[in-house]
Amino acid sequence: MAATALREQLNGLVNSMFAEGLLDQQFQQLQMLQDGSTPGFVAEVVTLFCEDSERILTELTKLMDQAVVDYSKVDAYVHQLKGSSSSVGAQNVKLACIQFRQFCEENNKEGCVRALNVVKHEYCHLRSKFETMLQLESRIQAYENKQQN
Amino acid sequence: MGEVTEGDNGKVNGGGGGGGGGEGEVRVLVVDDSAVDRRIVEGLLKRSGTMFEVIAVDSGKKAMEILGLNEGKAESPTVNDKKIDIILTDYCMPEMTGYDLLKAVKEQSCPKSIPVVIMSSENEPQRINRCRAIGADDFILKPLQTKDVQKLRSYATSMALASKAGTKRKMPLDLMGENSGSERIPHLAGVAVA
Repeated sequence: MAATALREQLNGLVNSMFAEGLLDQQFQQLQMLQDGSTPGFVAEVVTLFCEDSERILTELTKLMDQAVVDYSKVDAYVHQLKGSSSSVGAQNVKLACIQFRQFCEENNKEGCVRALNVVKHEYCHLRSKFETMLQLESRIQAYENKQQN
Repeated sequence: MGEVTEGDNGKVNGGGGGGGGGEGEVRVLVVDDSAVDRRIVEGLLKRSGTMFEVIAVDSGKKAMEILGLNEGKAESPTVNDKKIDIILTDYCMPEMTGYDLLKAVKEQSCPKSIPVVIMSSENEPQRINRCRAIGADDFILKPLQTKDVQKLRSYATSMALASKAGTKRKMPLDLMGENSGSERIPHLAGVAVA
């Protein structure tokens, strides 16, 4: 049955994300909140996270481009991103944010520039996996809806 | 159980196995500037099995409006004529922090004080103590998990019941009857709890 194969693919993907450290057990908490009455919960939270992250990364890029960097503003944004990545279980992004905040505290411009690149890289990697995850979920959902009708 | 007259009591009996010990919904005001966190907290609350009604706002200022605390008005905190039972607020927010909001709520002279629970990603003892010192009822570390909401549930439920007992019910025996399925509030036996 096609839905089963898709499910296996989805589970394989998510498991590999846990194994790679992209996701931590907080993501499992989110998965547990999804059920028959809230089938789109994980997708919704993941989407919110991605929108929020991209907004923050855009602002961070602008701030780091300034001749004189306002580290308190930078730190405030990184703190936000650290918080949301922690809430969704985006472990590598969270860790990269923690590193970034260290450099902010030291007012280390070079360190911050590098750290921002690491955060972006981790985020992009995660986002592409999330996209695959959501596509698979949506195809599975479509199959299950068809079968019910 | 013939004395139960409130229209919404049907919910309790029909509510199923979630352990719903309330005679109505527990209204939670969630205050957090992060859209991701608001959605997650809402998901946690709704999934916990209790009849939580969630009102989520993105700032302390909006929370104050909902609570009717702006411009020094000392009204009873209501949303559409229904009271907020518990406030769950993030600590770190721009402009008005969770601490500021906590202070404002605890300062207003309402006969019944709404429980305020602070959420924070930082496990700083000083921060926790500061909040407790001005009346925070609890302090939860982010990221929130199911167990945190369960803790909140028993806490909010007993407060909500106590307050609803005061405002709507004259006969605590009714509550006993409704709550025979709930092991959470044994102390209500014939006694109104403040």
